[in-house]
Amino acid sequence: MADNKGVETTGHQWDDDEGYPLQEFNNPLPKWWLYTFYATIIWSFIYWVLYPAWPSANGFTKGVLGWSMHTEFKEDMAAVQVQQKAFNDQMERLSLQEIAKDNKLLQYAISGGKAVFGDYCAPCHGTGGIGVKTGGFPTLADDDWLFGGNLETIHETISGGRVGQMPAHLKSAGGNFSDAQVDDLTSYVLSLTGQSKDAAANQRGDALFHGDAGCKGCHGDKGNGSLKGTVDGSPLPPIGAPNLTDAIWLYGGDRQTVRDSIAKGRSGKMPAWSKESKEVGKKLDPLALKQVTIYVHSLGGGQ
Amino acid sequence: MGQQPNMMQTYDYEVIKKFTIAAIIYAIVGFLVGVILALELTFPDLNGGIPYISFGRLRPLHTSAVIFAFGGSVLFATSYYIVQRTSKARLFSDFLSNLTFWGWNLVVVLVVITYPLGLTQGKEYAEPIWPIDLLITVVWVAYFINYVGTLARRKEPHIYVANWFYLAFIITVALLHIVNNLAIPINLTDSYSIFSGVQDAMIQWWYGHNAVGFFLTAAFLGLMYYFVPKQAERPVYSYRLSIVHFWALSFMYIWAGPHHLHYTALPDWAGTLGATFSIMLLLPSWGGMINGIMTLSGAWHKLRTDPILRFFIVSLSFYGMSTFEGPLMSIKSVNALSHYTDWTIGHVHSGALGWVAMVSFGAIYHMVPRLWGVAIYSKGLINLHFWLATIGVVIYIVAMWISGIMQGLMWRAYDSFGNLSYSFAESVAAMHPYYLIRTIGGVVFLVGALVMAFNIIMTVRGGAKQAPATIG
Repeated sequence: MADNKGVETTGHQWDDDEGYPLQEFNNPLPKWWLYTFYATIIWSFIYWVLYPAWPSANGFTKGVLGWSMHTEFKEDMAAVQVQQKAFNDQMERLSLQEIAKDNKLLQYAISGGKAVFGDYCAPCHGTGGIGVKTGGFPTLADDDWLFGGNLETIHETISGGRVGQMPAHLKSAGGNFSDAQVDDLTSYVLSLTGQSKDAAANQRGDALFHGDAGCKGCHGDKGNGSLKGTVDGSPLPPIGAPNLTDAIWLYGGDRQTVRDSIAKGRSGKMPAWSKESKEVGKKLDPLALKQVTIYVHSLGGGQ
Repeated sequence: MGQQPNMMQTYDYEVIKKFTIAAIIYAIVGFLVGVILALELTFPDLNGGIPYISFGRLRPLHTSAVIFAFGGSVLFATSYYIVQRTSKARLFSDFLSNLTFWGWNLVVVLVVITYPLGLTQGKEYAEPIWPIDLLITVVWVAYFINYVGTLARRKEPHIYVANWFYLAFIITVALLHIVNNLAIPINLTDSYSIFSGVQDAMIQWWYGHNAVGFFLTAAFLGLMYYFVPKQAERPVYSYRLSIVHFWALSFMYIWAGPHHLHYTALPDWAGTLGATFSIMLLLPSWGGMINGIMTLSGAWHKLRTDPILRFFIVSLSFYGMSTFEGPLMSIKSVNALSHYTDWTIGHVHSGALGWVAMVSFGAIYHMVPRLWGVAIYSKGLINLHFWLATIGVVIYIVAMWISGIMQGLMWRAYDSFGNLSYSFAESVAAMHPYYLIRTIGGVVFLVGALVMAFNIIMTVRGGAKQAPATIG
């Protein structure tokens, strides 16, 4: 029998053919264990009195605190609304320019805009508007704009959305030009940022760019985009044609990607977020639109 | 002792050996899939766009492999071992023993085929489609009959405590499995649950929580009640405590499920009951830990020399910690922070790796030499496994605690204007380093299991060489 120091075993024994036979002491329940167990039961009774707990035929005990998750939610939301009401009223009344001049209001708008941006804009434009690896979505943290970087234009872009259409040029993709011609155009476009040293190809591409291919009609005589460029002395329509001379690329600036853009064309789409838009999808209320506009403007490149 | 005839030769050890080997194989497979999933979370492109190995399909494969394939095999093996030895009776029916082994393994094979194909009924831990559910039911009924039949044939007047826990496990899991899977089939692979909406969610978490309670807690406590005193060579600390905590645990656990559904469509009152019964469950859960650890009183010095005992004592410590953490997380205000975060994942793994897997490893090391009648190949490797497993679990759960609490705090962080400070994507990005650390913890734990597999293979092989001499 085991050395039980005054405590008896139950006298039962099992599995005694091999190894140590199983036996059981009959120690009393540890006091701290028992009392803590009672304490948890008492705690539960108190909890049942305070909170909604036991169901009955026609409802449930509501608890003396009157708590429910719905009232908790409503109270929390109401507290925030009280905190934000003065700001929101001002933001609704004032123009974007006026908001931007009021330092406190500006900070409030950036704070709210960041939250909106994180949920709805960051998936394509990257956290903080720093862009994404896949390309095709403009970086918003620089000062290179497709449609314009002032407050009104950013607001217009977000509210109504934008479409950026680059046509295909290669015959097999529905365009009018041969492989060799597309190669020449690629060389010329790359030469604008000093990446193509093939003078002959650059020259042939130059002729196409300003001639049959009609590139200058959107990208401008100098290839510096619809925002800054001119064609034959006149400003370009606001169609979001990128600046090809600044080494900032929407889809990528290596030869293959530039060639793909020219050969097969590109189709870019920024959704419309205003409730007035008829496009399907998530919409933002006017206040959120203003906030996110000011946030995007603040990212580094606002004009 | 010694008056009764030696019963050792009459026991059915074959089915136990088979389940033990299956348990070791499934442990490695389950842990490996876990490591792959941890890597997929760290580097999402790793699935290569292949649907069959995407996170959503592999995750249930991992949980089923570790809980039901590994854990289930351990429970079949140990329950058959314990019920025979504590009843001094051979298993009730060789046919039923084999039916449970081959049936259970067929279930595992079908699960491995169907989950990657996307065939699931979408209930967590109860993903198998209805034909597999029926097969599970058949196996489980066979298990019940075999177990109770053996107990009925026992030559001991009393039923040892381990068997109460196994019996509670078998009966409750049958109830849970049948009710949660009640469904109307519409073809061979699809069915509709007979419950809908929040009732379906409630039934699902009544099942889910008690799968933890009776599969991963009660049953493994049964295991503990046999192997700890047997390995420590000490009587169980308190028979009285074992009775009280057994009934309290069984009664309290079954109510605790609603704490998985705080702040959802589930009514407030149901959540309150779930939380309070979880709090009341704390001490009944700890009863098992006290009984296990106090059994060692007077034998603490054995920890210095016995690595198997170390597995048991560390598993009981993790058990005590996670059964404290669970009730804490069930309180609504804590749950509001912890729910949907990695904290939950850390909690589950401190229970699953720290308690269930560790106590299982100890049991396997205890049983294998006795099943095959040979000495263990290397005690040093058991010790190595112990340290790898312990370090692996600690790395894992610490990473998940930090990641989970950070995640919860980021989600609820507001700036001075009352606007959210972080977007969801920012909280995901912040978790990346912890996902990597968690993966490392998982790899260390997996390596430990491989060391065990090697040790067991060498042990059994060594036995095969010794066998002729022993018989002669």
